[in-house]
Amino acid sequence: MQTKERPVPNGVILEMTGDLTYANREQFKTAVEAIRQKGCRHLILNMAEVRFVDSSGLGLLALVSQNFKLSQAKVSMLKPQSYVREIMSLANIQKLIPVYDNEQDALSGHQRAA
Amino acid sequence: MSFESSATAAGPAGSPPPHTVLVVDDEPTARLALVARLKRLGYRVIQAGDGRAGLEALRRERPELTILDWMMPEMDGPSFCEYVRQDPELQTSQILMMTSHDQPEQIAEGLARGADDFLSKAASKYEITARVQAGMRAATLVRRLKDATEEIRQKQEALEQELQSAARYVESLLPPPGAILPGVQMVHVYRPSLALGGDLFNIVPWSDDFLGLYLLDASGHGVSPALRSSSFATFLRRDSLLRHVGSNDPGAILTEANKQFPLTETGHYFTIVFASLDLRCHTLSYATAGHGGALLHRRSGEVCWMAQPNLPLGFDPSTSYVTATLPIGLGDRLYLLSDGLYEFPAANGELWGQGRLEKTIQALGRQPLETVITETIAEAVRWQGHEQFPDDVALMGVEVAI
Repeated sequence: MQTKERPVPNGVILEMTGDLTYANREQFKTAVEAIRQKGCRHLILNMAEVRFVDSSGLGLLALVSQNFKLSQAKVSMLKPQSYVREIMSLANIQKLIPVYDNEQDALSGHQRAA
Repeated sequence: MSFESSATAAGPAGSPPPHTVLVVDDEPTARLALVARLKRLGYRVIQAGDGRAGLEALRRERPELTILDWMMPEMDGPSFCEYVRQDPELQTSQILMMTSHDQPEQIAEGLARGADDFLSKAASKYEITARVQAGMRAATLVRRLKDATEEIRQKQEALEQELQSAARYVESLLPPPGAILPGVQMVHVYRPSLALGGDLFNIVPWSDDFLGLYLLDASGHGVSPALRSSSFATFLRRDSLLRHVGSNDPGAILTEANKQFPLTETGHYFTIVFASLDLRCHTLSYATAGHGGALLHRRSGEVCWMAQPNLPLGFDPSTSYVTATLPIGLGDRLYLLSDGLYEFPAANGELWGQGRLEKTIQALGRQPLETVITETIAEAVRWQGHEQFPDDVALMGVEVAI
């Protein structure tokens, strides 16, 4: 998995490419933890280029959401692909991490019905 | 013929025993001269007068170094080397080959056939000393490597035995198949992806006409999920549930479990389907947490998935899990399964999926429960093209016959 940070007003967008799985959990954790330590208020995970999330990846997303919550910050998700979206909705992840279809909505926190 | 020669005077007490050199040469004069020189250097020396006797001495004494003449009757030097390299017990022996004419072609042939180094018969005593010491260094390194490999092998074996014994313990937690209560049959398959699995299931009669059953899946593979699963299974025992939850209600049980089993610091968690079967009222109550759920195959042929989109356990401590209830009738079958039974790919990467699993079970129809379970696994194996599933696979089928 490759990640790239992009600062936006009041937050950071993390552009993710590859699979979010057990094999590359460390890369993802390191990237996200670095952002949290910098005092980011809103982390937006851009999932448009993520093909697959396994059960371990799902746990990581929940962990990231809990850790940001402890720092009074929030996590959102942008444009997950259909298979990933299905996994997320079976596990009801949008209850923890709101899902958005475009950057503007993610920034304003305006959630349309999924 | 083989000669033994006693070692040089033993060193002071506590010093390591001298290294041993085997000299194999059919010419007594040359052999005795070399033996005398090696003894003066402090080595223990054994001798043999031909290749065959040399092999016997090598096998018996395991010297650190063998110095071998090229030309010998019976078995010459290069044949000796070839034999040694093909013998698993002897193949790491260090061999120094002696020759009277050190032509490059001959040296190349000797090395190719298994010698480690060459020594000219005309070599000075300094060169002999240096070559023998170099051979000893190599022999010591090889021996250390063999010892380390053997130590690792023994540790690995001990670890695997531990894992096997832990795996037997986990399997002992699984319910024995057969009649759970009069009129309720159960059959299951359990195929952990490693020796130890993180999937666990059970079916327990809580009274004459009331059963609790569940299938849980700890995220991850190996020892840690297996430990977490067995601790969760202890929480799900009847006495523990009465103490911690005080209710038979699947939703209430999962709501409490969600508080008891938070996300681990590495992001691991459980998914579960928990159900209770009331044979008196003919109802099936269930709740799921992040789990693909269970499949209800009615006697009529109708199939429905029992699953609610719900967070896995530990994701959010404030989550309430809600019980759903369905009527259940004579001949209905309930299949509890792990996601490992549908989330695996064929060779081309395409996942088997819940749809194909459902169709397979539906097509097997009213065949005996045992056959449905076995054939479903067989069909999954055909799809992926091999026996080894990437994730733990568990499938428990329950048939209600009253």
